[in-house]
Amino acid sequence: MTVEEQIYQNSIQQPDRIALIAGDEKVTYAKLWERCLLAATNVKRKYGLKQGDRIILSASANIDFIYAYFGIHIAGGVCVPIDPDTNETRFDLIKKSTTPVCTMGLLHKVEETPTIPLNDVLTPCDNIEPYMQPDSEQLADVLFTTGTTGAPKGVALNHRNLAAAALNINTFIKNTAEDVELLALPVSHSFGLGRVRCVLSKGGTLVLLGTFASMKKFFGLMEQHHCTGFGMVPASWAYIKKMSGEHIGKFADQLRYIEIGSSFMPIPDKELLCRLLPNTRICMHYGLTEASRSAFMEFHSEHDQLNTAGKASPNVDVKIFDGEGKEMPLGGEGEVCVKGNHVTCSYWNETPERFAKDFFNGYFRTGDCGYLDADGYIHLKSRIKEMINVGGKKVSPMEVEDILNTIPGITDCACVAMPDPEGVMGELVKAFIVCDDTSLTDAAILEALKPKLEVYKLPAAIERIDAIPKTASGKVQRLKLK
Amino acid sequence: MDTLEKVIEIVATICSVDKSEVTENSMVGDFPAWDSVGHLSILSNVEEAFDISFEPEEMMEMEDVKDIVNAVNAKL
Repeated sequence: MTVEEQIYQNSIQQPDRIALIAGDEKVTYAKLWERCLLAATNVKRKYGLKQGDRIILSASANIDFIYAYFGIHIAGGVCVPIDPDTNETRFDLIKKSTTPVCTMGLLHKVEETPTIPLNDVLTPCDNIEPYMQPDSEQLADVLFTTGTTGAPKGVALNHRNLAAAALNINTFIKNTAEDVELLALPVSHSFGLGRVRCVLSKGGTLVLLGTFASMKKFFGLMEQHHCTGFGMVPASWAYIKKMSGEHIGKFADQLRYIEIGSSFMPIPDKELLCRLLPNTRICMHYGLTEASRSAFMEFHSEHDQLNTAGKASPNVDVKIFDGEGKEMPLGGEGEVCVKGNHVTCSYWNETPERFAKDFFNGYFRTGDCGYLDADGYIHLKSRIKEMINVGGKKVSPMEVEDILNTIPGITDCACVAMPDPEGVMGELVKAFIVCDDTSLTDAAILEALKPKLEVYKLPAAIERIDAIPKTASGKVQRLKLK
Repeated sequence: MDTLEKVIEIVATICSVDKSEVTENSMVGDFPAWDSVGHLSILSNVEEAFDISFEPEEMMEMEDVKDIVNAVNAKL
């Protein structure tokens, strides 16, 4: 059953239950469904959306985004959610690749293209078109990740993928229709958007916030709406801790669950959460956009496994393969590969032959290296991919390097992750540059980068070196720079 | 330069906006760059500029320029 069908069922079985809260506005399931159908009719009539057509959505925790997102799905369209802060270069690449019928929502860094306001989908109209459940195999979303090459890569997810992921997650976390979730994660990413689908498919209530920036607001809403859970990435916890100390412990009797995203989280941070929230299901997932939440671990019940990435999620199988695609024996190190209905159905604009190379015997290759122990726990050893994780936001070193290389005076460069000295952002970008202009200052380099890169992608440190270490074939040896 | 002026200057620099766009009522989320990363940068720059440090409980209460200015003045 698709997520949209589940929301439809919720609108019949519990029409008066609150689905969404945004500011002073409370929207029941009946109203949510009515608005999703209105949005579906509008995107067809106003923008001429046909089955399989794409719409780029600037994804903010705006209530109209929710209507537009599900409305496009109901209309048979494909959503391409992007960060409102997407830069012009990235936007142009995504637009060229997906050839959308339109772009909706505010984009702060794209000046040329006029976009349609999200609330346009709620323009009143007659004869709302009847609901038809989207086909499970129909493409639903294309999420652009930060590819290792620096060029954005479109992960295509069909309705079966999205429904399977929501079911797996809700099963593990044990979400119910009684849950009230505070959504502070960005909905332009797989995790945040996934939380929207999880809560609404289960019939719970979603309180839209969209950012952890104001802790006063975060805790204020948690108290006001008696929230029972929320999702965060390890960088969010570092931020919450820095900005509010142990204040979250005051909600120990109220918080039923927390879902934590996959990136490195120090054991003391996990222990602290356990101490502050002794009765909360603290569920940390391991996954990627292509295979959302492939594994889970709960901090209390699996306390002796805090240093692992958890076990395969419900309905998911995990295996380890060597570089040749041969399954490794128990304890053997290799590439972590996953199988399940949640695994991406394709990459956008990629041939089936190329896509097949991302699998070993039906198991999707995550690009992460690790092994499985006798109890089925995944032990991650290293990331094969070289992303830099800045406060939960992924930065491709090559995207920054490509722009650095256009600055006159810089003849070569390489970017790597450096630990945030403050310990809050996790990692920051460090740039090594080879420079033939001694008058080129760090400030001038940053000024040149600023218009082209999001703030979190800007190097926090710049070091001048004589040459970038490279392999005989010319590949940058980033490990030597760390 | 008084506290308000200095705080406004820090916010404008971190958020890449003109000083004239920042008022004492400007708050988290008012500019795209004033997200959690921006907020942290603003507060650590304020701590450095005035040679003070904030406790987590104090930081939790700071949402807008006015809050920051009041917190700074309380420590000077």
